[in-house]
Amino acid sequence: MSKTILIVDDSASVRQVVTIALRGAGYEVVAATDGKDALKQLDGRRIHLIISDVNMPNMDGITLVGEVKKLPSYRFTPIIMLTTESQEDKKRQAQAAGAKAWVTKPFQPDQMLAAVSKLVMP
Amino acid sequence: MVEFLIVVVALAAGLAAGYKAGTLRAGRAGREAAAARAATADYARSVSEFAGAVAPVWSSQIESSRTQMETAIGAVTTEFSQIVDNLDAVLASSSAALEDGHGGGALERGRQRLGSVVHTLDAALTSKREALRDLEALLGLNDDLKQMTAEVAQIAAQTNLLALNASIEAARAGEAGAGFGIVALEVRQLAERSFQTSERMARRVEGIAGAIASALSKAEGDAEREGVAVTRANSEVSEVLDDLGAVLAGLRDSSDQLERAAVGIRSGVAGAIVNLQFQDRIGQVLEHLRENIDRMPVVVAEDRSLNAQRLLDELAATYTMHQEREAHLTGAKTAAVPESEITFF
Repeated sequence: MSKTILIVDDSASVRQVVTIALRGAGYEVVAATDGKDALKQLDGRRIHLIISDVNMPNMDGITLVGEVKKLPSYRFTPIIMLTTESQEDKKRQAQAAGAKAWVTKPFQPDQMLAAVSKLVMP
Repeated sequence: MVEFLIVVVALAAGLAAGYKAGTLRAGRAGREAAAARAATADYARSVSEFAGAVAPVWSSQIESSRTQMETAIGAVTTEFSQIVDNLDAVLASSSAALEDGHGGGALERGRQRLGSVVHTLDAALTSKREALRDLEALLGLNDDLKQMTAEVAQIAAQTNLLALNASIEAARAGEAGAGFGIVALEVRQLAERSFQTSERMARRVEGIAGAIASALSKAEGDAEREGVAVTRANSEVSEVLDDLGAVLAGLRDSSDQLERAAVGIRSGVAGAIVNLQFQDRIGQVLEHLRENIDRMPVVVAEDRSLNAQRLLDELAATYTMHQEREAHLTGAKTAAVPESEITFF
């Protein structure tokens, strides 16, 4: 059974290129447009890993990480931050919130797949 | 004294004139300052009006362009995604069609199965030939029977001759040989019947020999034709399998070319995935710029002046990317796309 990954980004093109990269490696991918939409997508679903942007409308990525960690079903679900953000304090905030990795855009598909396979148990 | 008075009067007149002139100058300066303040206020108002007029237009143009770009890149990315899906489907189909050793396994299995069929036909033909040899042996036995029948006929003839002599001798013996004569007659009759039986046997054996020879001839003809047919079938099966092998070799070459092309395409896809992310970066830059432009009329109205630093500081506070900060600080018009970095916590 393939693993399911949730991509959260307000940019449609980023959601699609992440989907292309991951589907090509056999992962199922679902998408959300911001943090609030992501929390809705998590409800009633089995998600094995979350990839989230940092700067988004409605609910930003770092807040999303904190909210996800409050959910018993997703407490241990790994989260990768995928962002253009280059400020170190944002990275530290993401780490403190519970994110497992920080990937800067534009990402290389091979690097992203390596990060995902490292965090998702086969 | 008079001179002194003249001097005093002159001084007094001078002072009076000076005072009047000073008063006139002060009034003019006040008017000029008021005029300047009015001009400044007019300028500030005009700047505010200018900012209020142009900023929304600039902002809406930037937002319109950003939205159009996002829509267009979204469509391009969707089409690109479909192309990638189709490519994956074609590759999967090609691989499935030629899996198991590029189809060579299926060909080899076909060769084995058809070879088994030909072998079965060969075995049947061999068995038939063995039956023919048995039939030929039977024909030989029939010749023996024929010989034996001839011998029986000869014995019957000799017995008949012997019985004839016995009858003659019995007649010569007269009354005493009457009984022996009867026996001799019976023997002759038996010899006659034996002879007739041997003749029937000879005819029957001859008939059997003819039937066997006919069957043998027909079976040999059939076996000959079947042998030719099996040889031809074997040859045609080999030709068909060779043709299939050639077709599969062609398909394998096509598949190999497709695989090689796929490697290049996958590399291109990876590059396209990187490049398609430019919309996200540019979209963010334009969004930060638009928000700053939207703020310009407010800042101008609040400060009643063109306070560039405040606007620039607000703009800088919205930056998320290193390139934005670099362009802001250095005025650089081009920035290299940064390499992706991964940090594991």
